[in-house]
Amino acid sequence: MICLEKKHSKKEVEEALGYAEEFGWKVEVGGGHAWGKIYCPYNEKECRCGEFCISSIWSTPKNAGNYAKQIKRVVDNCTIRNNDSEA
Amino acid sequence: MKEFEFTLKFSFPDADQDPDEYVDALGEAGCDDAIIGIRQKGRVAFQFTREASDAFSAVTSAIQDVKSAIPHAKLIESTPDLVGLTDIANLMGVSRQYLRKLETTKMNFPQPVHSGKTAIWHLFSFLQWYEESLKKPVNLSIKEIASANMQINIAKEWAQLDHNTQSKMSSLGL
Repeated sequence: MICLEKKHSKKEVEEALGYAEEFGWKVEVGGGHAWGKIYCPYNEKECRCGEFCISSIWSTPKNAGNYAKQIKRVVDNCTIRNNDSEA
Repeated sequence: MKEFEFTLKFSFPDADQDPDEYVDALGEAGCDDAIIGIRQKGRVAFQFTREASDAFSAVTSAIQDVKSAIPHAKLIESTPDLVGLTDIANLMGVSRQYLRKLETTKMNFPQPVHSGKTAIWHLFSFLQWYEESLKKPVNLSIKEIASANMQINIAKEWAQLDHNTQSKMSSLGL
């Protein structure tokens, strides 16, 4: 179980980060102005989603609702492609 | 104003640069409507949800914002544009088998940009055909963004030609 030291101040974003964690993503707080980073669990192995395996998370995204959807999409794209590669 | 979803991929020469440095600059440049992927060294990807009057303005303003933060960044591609059948199926929420059936049974199915072991289309060509030939609805915002991306990606490739080749190619009437 991963414990967040700090919650994201935007409710929708915090919820999306929880969604990422459900799929095994690591959520890391800190580093620069951005709020933190998320790491794909298949990172370094045979993940094919590539670019977004490590994504930077804004503390104040322009639109929190959209941003939450974007985070979920990154997670979903990853799981879809991993399922594909297993098929 | 409408919202457009698209992904830009850039490369930049200084692969060893700490991503945190340019991520800050990107936030200040107005890329706070994008989630930024920093997995690949020397590359950075942006999944934008951008408000703009039209798709072309959405993509070009996003490119400008990235370039103002990382001047040496080179656009690799703006997506979605070049797609295989699996990509189209995922984008449209239909099965790949259905698209494969259309491809093999419909005489006027769009010609791919590349055919071989895998075939690749411009998404816009497919969506236009799907809408006009099959009289089926397509997501207008995806169609608009696919059209803008196709033009931007072609322009980017075209800019790589030397002037002599550009003028020769123009006269071929492709």
